[in-house]
Amino acid sequence: MKKWMIAITIGLLILFVSACSSGEHTNGEGSSDADVITAWAWDPLFNVAALKLAEEYYTQENEGFQLQIIENGQKDIVQRLNTGLSSGTMNGMPNIVLIEDYRAQSFLQAYPDAFYDLSEYFNIDDFADYKKEPTSFDGGQFGVPFDTGVTGLYLRTDYLEDAGYTPEDLTNITWDEFIEIGKDIKEKSGKYMISVNPNDPDDLRHMIQTAGVWFTEEDGRTADISDNEAVREAVRIYNALQEEGIAHINTDWSSRVAAFNSGSVVSVAVGNWMTPNIKAEESQAGKWTIVPIPRLPVEGAVNASNQGGSSFYVLNIPGKEKAAEFLASTFGSNEDLYQDLVTEIGAIGTYLPALDGEAFQQSDDFFGGQPIIADFITWMEEIPSVNYGMHTYAIMDILIGEIQKYKDGKSLDDALHDAQKQAEGRLIN
Amino acid sequence: MKLGSSKSIIGWLFILIAVIFISLFYFYPMLQALILSFRSGMGLNLEFVGLDNYIRLFNDPVALTAIRNTFIYLIVQVPVMILLAMFFSVLLNNPNLKFKAFFRTAIFLPAVISLVAYSVIFKYLFSTDGIINKFLLNLSLISEPIEWLMDPFWAKVLIIIAITWRWTGYNMIFYLAALQNVDHSVYEAAKMDGANSFQQFFYITIPMLKPIILFTAITSTIGTLQLFDEPMNITRGGPGNETLTISQYIYNLSFEYTPDFGYAAAVSFVIVILTIIFSMIQFRLGGDRK
Amino acid sequence: MNKLKVFFIYLILSVAALVSLFPFLWMLISMTNKSVDITQGSLMPGTHIFENLSNLFENYSVGSALFNSFFIAIIATVLCLVISSLAGYGFEVYQSKGKDIVFTILLLSMMIPFAALMVPLFRLFGNISQVFPAIGVDTLYAVILPYVTTAFFVFFFRQNTKMFTKDLIEAGRIDGLSEIGIFFRIYLPSMKNTLAAAGIISFMNNWNNYLWPLVIIQSPENQTIPLLISNLGSGYTPDYGVIYTAIVIGTIPTALVFFLLQRYFVEGMTGSVKG
Repeated sequence: MKKWMIAITIGLLILFVSACSSGEHTNGEGSSDADVITAWAWDPLFNVAALKLAEEYYTQENEGFQLQIIENGQKDIVQRLNTGLSSGTMNGMPNIVLIEDYRAQSFLQAYPDAFYDLSEYFNIDDFADYKKEPTSFDGGQFGVPFDTGVTGLYLRTDYLEDAGYTPEDLTNITWDEFIEIGKDIKEKSGKYMISVNPNDPDDLRHMIQTAGVWFTEEDGRTADISDNEAVREAVRIYNALQEEGIAHINTDWSSRVAAFNSGSVVSVAVGNWMTPNIKAEESQAGKWTIVPIPRLPVEGAVNASNQGGSSFYVLNIPGKEKAAEFLASTFGSNEDLYQDLVTEIGAIGTYLPALDGEAFQQSDDFFGGQPIIADFITWMEEIPSVNYGMHTYAIMDILIGEIQKYKDGKSLDDALHDAQKQAEGRLIN
Repeated sequence: MKLGSSKSIIGWLFILIAVIFISLFYFYPMLQALILSFRSGMGLNLEFVGLDNYIRLFNDPVALTAIRNTFIYLIVQVPVMILLAMFFSVLLNNPNLKFKAFFRTAIFLPAVISLVAYSVIFKYLFSTDGIINKFLLNLSLISEPIEWLMDPFWAKVLIIIAITWRWTGYNMIFYLAALQNVDHSVYEAAKMDGANSFQQFFYITIPMLKPIILFTAITSTIGTLQLFDEPMNITRGGPGNETLTISQYIYNLSFEYTPDFGYAAAVSFVIVILTIIFSMIQFRLGGDRK
Repeated sequence: MNKLKVFFIYLILSVAALVSLFPFLWMLISMTNKSVDITQGSLMPGTHIFENLSNLFENYSVGSALFNSFFIAIIATVLCLVISSLAGYGFEVYQSKGKDIVFTILLLSMMIPFAALMVPLFRLFGNISQVFPAIGVDTLYAVILPYVTTAFFVFFFRQNTKMFTKDLIEAGRIDGLSEIGIFFRIYLPSMKNTLAAAGIISFMNNWNNYLWPLVIIQSPENQTIPLLISNLGSGYTPDYGVIYTAIVIGTIPTALVFFLLQRYFVEGMTGSVKG
C-alpha cells in the first residue's frame, strides 16, 4: 500500500512540475493577444490549406504578421463558437472563423454584436451573387466569401455507354428525366443510378436551390414548406429515387464515398468539393465526366445549384482590424491567390475578377480531359441567389421526420402541412 | 453508532471538499440552467417567458417522440443488459473455468473502445448488405435482408444492441466482483439440499447481489436517459426521428439549430424529473432507503 | 449432462468474446490499410501501416496530445479517488439525517445531461479566467476541475463503505488513532480494490472525455487524444487509415490500465475487506 501511495505522489509531482513549466506558453493566447491572429477552420487539405496559402501571400508584404490556424471539425467549431459566444465572455474566441453559408445567418442574428462589419474593407460585388445573402446582415457585410459549393452531376461514362446513353443525354435535364433514365439503366445493367442517405437528405437543399427558393420565405425566418412547390417537388423526387429502386442507400460519409469508389453507382450529384474523393480511386481514371446538375421540374428552375460552401468572419475582439485587413487583401482581392488555390488545393473561389485566369482553364485527365474548373465556374455564375435564413438545419430535421411518414404512406400534402405546422410552432422568430 | 458533536463535525469535514466541488461545478451551472429554462430567444437575446418553454415542449411532436424513444430504450435495454451482465458474471464465476482472465477482459473491452470506431463498425456490420444480414440469410432466419438503419423498428433494435454490446461487460464487472465476495459454502450447502442451478441463482445469487443490482440499475437508468453517443453516431436519430433521444434533441437545439438555450434547458429538466422518478422507484424496490 | 453443460458454457463465452473483440480486430486490420480499401470494407490486412503511422506522427502532434490526455486522466483520477473516498467514508461512517439529505441532493447532480451544463460552466470558467487565468479557459486544469469529484464516485464509495467492517474503526480509535488517521491507515489500505476499480473507471472516463475539452480547450498544444481523433475525420477527404491508426494508439492506454489493474478490479468492485 505504501508503495502505491508513493508512486502516485511521485507521479503527481512530476506531472505538476512538467505542467507548470509547459503551462507558461498556454496562457495569454487567443483573443486577448492581438499580436497573433487566430483562425478556426476545418479540413486540413482544403480550408486550412487555403488559409496557409493566404498567410504566405500576406506575410510577403506584412512582415511580423502571425496567423495561428486552429484546425477543428465543422461540428466542433459550431459547438465551440456557440458555447463561447453565448457565455457572453468572448473568452478564447478566435479572430477569424470559417462558417458554412447555411449556418451564417443563425450566427449573425443570434450574436449580432459578436461579429465585425467588413463593408469598409472589401467589395462584396466582386463576388458571385449568391454569396451575398448568407454573408451580410442588417446592412453590414460580415463575411468574406470563400469557396463555392457549385454542384455538378458526376457521371460514369462507361456505365452510361453500356446502357446506351451518352453524357449529353443527361445534360440539362430535370430530376424526373433523371429518374426515367435511372430506371432504364437499372433494368439494363443492375447498377444503381445514385446513392442517398435518407437520414441526411442534403440533396434536398441543392434540389430546391435550382428553383431559386429556400425552406423559408425572403425574411429567412418564416417557414415556407406546405405552399412551396419546389420543396414539394424535391420531397416527391427524393422519395421517388428510393421508391423506384434506383437509389443505393448510404448511411454515413464513408459509405457514401465507398458507393462511388467501389463502382456501385452511375452518378453522384454533389458539390464540387467531392472531386478529390472521386479521384481517390485511381483505377477509375478516364471513366468520369461532369455535367450540370438536374433541375427541379418547376417554373424558372435552372441547371445550376450550390451545396455547402463557406465564408470567413471576423469576431469583434481585439485584433479585428488586423484580421479584417488580412482577409481583405487576400481572399477579398488577391487574384493570384485564387489561381494558387485552384492549382495547389483544388479550391474554387467565388471572386469573379480572378475566374478567367489560366489556372481555371486546365483540363483534367481523370475526367477525360474535361476542363472541369472552367465548367464549374460557368455553372456557378448561374446559381440562383437565395436567403438560407436561420433555420436550415432545424427545418431539414423536421422534414426528415415527415418524409419518413410520407414513405410509410402518409399523403404528401399532409406530410408537408404537418412539417409547416411543426416549424411554425417550434422555431423562434 | 452514537457520535459526539466533535465527531459529527469531523464527519462534515470529510464530505466538505466533495460538497464544495460538486456545488460549484454542478449545482451552480444547474441552477443557471434552471433559470435559463424560463427564458427564450436565440443566442444571447433572451427574455423571460415564464413556463412557455415547458408548455411548448408538450406541443412539440419531436420532443415527445424523443421522450417516447428514450423510454423504449430504457424499458427494454436496462433489464436486458442487467440480466445479461448477471448471466455472464455467474458463468465466469465458476471456479473451475479456464481462460477466465481472457473471457473477462474480452467481454469488458467494448467499454474502452473509441466511439468513432464503434459507430463506424456497427453501421458497417448492420448495413443492408452487411455481415449480419448475410449471416442471418445463410441461416435462413430471415428471407430478405433487414433494413437495420432504415426501418423504424429495427433501427431501435440496432441502438439497443449497440448499447448492450458496449455496456454489458462494464456492468458485468460489478457483479463479478460482488459474486467473489459470496462465500462458496453457501452454494455447497444449497447443493446438499438439492437446489438446482436455477434455484441457486434465484434464491442465493440475486438476493446477495441486491445492493449492486440497485447501483447498476440506477447508474444505467441515468446513462440511458442521457443516451447520446449511439443515436448521434450510428443512426443520426433516423429514420425520421425514430431513434432520436432527449439528449440528442438538447444538443440539436443548442448547437445544430439556431441556438435556443432556454428551450434546450427546459428539455433537460424533463430528463432530471424523469431520472428522479425512476431513481425513487428503484430505491423503493431495492429497499435501500431506511 | 455435466460435460454438455461445460461445453455450452465455453461456447457461450467464446461467442461473447468473439462478438466483443471483433471491432478491435477490425481496428487493427484497418490500421494497415489504405483509406480507399477501408471505406470499401476490406477485411484483409494491408501493407500500409508505416505510411499511416508516419502520416499521423508527421502531421499531427500525437505526442503532446498523449501527454495532455495522460496528464488530465491521471490528475483527475487521483484527486477523484481521494476526494470521493473521503466523502463516501464521511457519509457512511458519520451517518446523520442532515448528511443523508445532503447525499440525496448530491445524487441530483448526476441527473442532468452535460450538454445542458456546458454553457453555464463555460461562463463560470470565463469568470475564473479573469482572476486565475492559470486554471481558466484553455488550460488543462479547466478540463480537470469539473471531474475531480462527481456524485457517481461519492455514491460508489459510499456503497462500498457499507461493506467495510466498522469494528476496525473502533479498534483504531482504541489504539488512539485520529479520525483522519483511521481513514488513511485502516480504511484506505483495506479499500485498495475499490480504489483500483474506481481508478480504472475514472481514468477511462477522463481519457475518453470529449464534450467538455472540446469547448474549454482552444490551443492546439492543449489538445487531447479524442479531440485529435475528431479532427482527423473533419475534412471532406478523411484518411481512414490514419484515423484508425490514431484510434488504436488512443485505445492502448485505457486497455493497458485495465490490464494492469484488473487483478484488483475484479475483487474490488464491492469493497472487499480482504486486502
